Amino acid sequence: MTQVLDDRQIQMDRMRYVKNTSSSRLCYLAILLNVLYFVSIYKSDMGSWYYQFLIGISIVYNLLFMLVAFLASEGVKNYKTAYSNALIILGAGQILRIFVLPMQAHSAVVKISGTEVPVMGNLQFIFCILMLLGSAACLIGAAVINIRKSKMLAEYESAKAKEAA
Amino acid sequence: MAQLSLQHLDKIYDNNVQAVFDFNMDVKDGELIVLVGPSGCGKSTTLRMVAGLEDISRGKLLLDDRDITQTPAKDRDMAMVFQNYALYGHMTIYENMAFSLTLRKEDVNVIHKKVLAAAEILGLTSQLNKKPAQLSGGQRQRVAMGRSIVRNPKVFLFDEPLSNLDAKLRGATRREILLLHKRLKATMLYVTHDQTEALTLADRIVCMSMGHVQQIGTPLELYDSPNNLFVAGFIGLPPMNFYDVVFQDGTLKGKGFEVELSDEERSILSGHVGKELVLGVRPEDVSDDGALPVKVFSNENLGMNTLVHGFMGDNHRITAKLRGWTSYKDGDTIKVRMGRKHFFDKQTTNAIRKGEK
Repeated sequence: MTQVLDDRQIQMDRMRYVKNTSSSRLCYLAILLNVLYFVSIYKSDMGSWYYQFLIGISIVYNLLFMLVAFLASEGVKNYKTAYSNALIILGAGQILRIFVLPMQAHSAVVKISGTEVPVMGNLQFIFCILMLLGSAACLIGAAVINIRKSKMLAEYESAKAKEAA
Repeated sequence: MAQLSLQHLDKIYDNNVQAVFDFNMDVKDGELIVLVGPSGCGKSTTLRMVAGLEDISRGKLLLDDRDITQTPAKDRDMAMVFQNYALYGHMTIYENMAFSLTLRKEDVNVIHKKVLAAAEILGLTSQLNKKPAQLSGGQRQRVAMGRSIVRNPKVFLFDEPLSNLDAKLRGATRREILLLHKRLKATMLYVTHDQTEALTLADRIVCMSMGHVQQIGTPLELYDSPNNLFVAGFIGLPPMNFYDVVFQDGTLKGKGFEVELSDEERSILSGHVGKELVLGVRPEDVSDDGALPVKVFSNENLGMNTLVHGFMGDNHRITAKLRGWTSYKDGDTIKVRMGRKHFFDKQTTNAIRKGEK
């Protein structure tokens, strides 16, 4: 290179050739945490109310979540800002999900052979909350990193284009 | 920059097949050495021994006077470019070029600088975001070279890097390798079976056959003063014409033909009167202004030159490379003259030169 670049410029120049793997890896981690969450939920014996009303929606949502999160991970890998919006929505959804199933299941009880048993014990409740929060943090983190990097890259490229002109 | 010394290298495989016999050579700093020979002559085996991909059965390998005979390939500070490019299809060109440095855990900024510099040398800057499948064969080979350049190795090793390319691309990439060598001034070992590559690229050529080194010298030395029949026949396109002859009464007598000699040629052969010899004449040293009758059977016009194939004497084939466009027809008789002649002892196959008996 005839042009001398400082470290910050090199970092930005490097982004032209290197994918945004930090964001995409966070997305994969978010998917993994979500899987751990729903595996934990599905193994619970929650009584008939859960199976009647929510299991179908929950399965469909999880499938959709994984699909959208994966597609968004590919998008952010290529510094596409629009996919960050999708990740933020998914992240917010993960936080909301805490109040849908885990909260309800934690306070619900079922009668097994005449004894009242809590649907979700404290340990499982904490685990579910942690998985959902972790997943949400990864998604929002991935989105923020991508927004920041893609903005830097866009500025760098427009500066280079101006320089060339 | 590096000096390489190959001392009495032998390669013997487990099944007792010996592929390389007593290979001796000193490669100077910044020299481009081309190992040339037919398939199976041991040139790639020699290169692989230098790279550390094959064990050295006997002998020593020194790099800058340091014995690296037993040093593992990864610690030899040499980079090899293969015929099949060996690129990772799922990685971009940038990632392919950066891969070896990433494995070494070099700083990402340093890697970036090195990759960009190599890409600029090779004219690959605009291709860095593409995958290997999107590039032509020549570009892929340049990427393979780029991957070597970023490592800044002491020695570059090329194993028939142009064999997968078509003729036009081969010529272009050959010139790029030559430019690269001039720019990097690096020590390079290059293996090929293509004598054109050898003659155009090499500072020195090592001509090999059946595991033995036949001759080491500059391209001109190998072309102009071949050591033996093998080198004479291998170097040069079209190949040299050979005839069994006997030196008698100041002329060379073959079956059905006789070749007049100059005083200098007679003095070279003065110690070989009556002995069986082989006369070698390059097609470009045959002209159609002589006295030796040749019956033409094929006339190949190549534009600047014409290759005329014919028979002389008792059906001895002769090829003449004549300047310009000729239109001899099958059955025409032309009279040729042999210019520069090469003489070989038929028994030893060694060249006979002035002062040698």
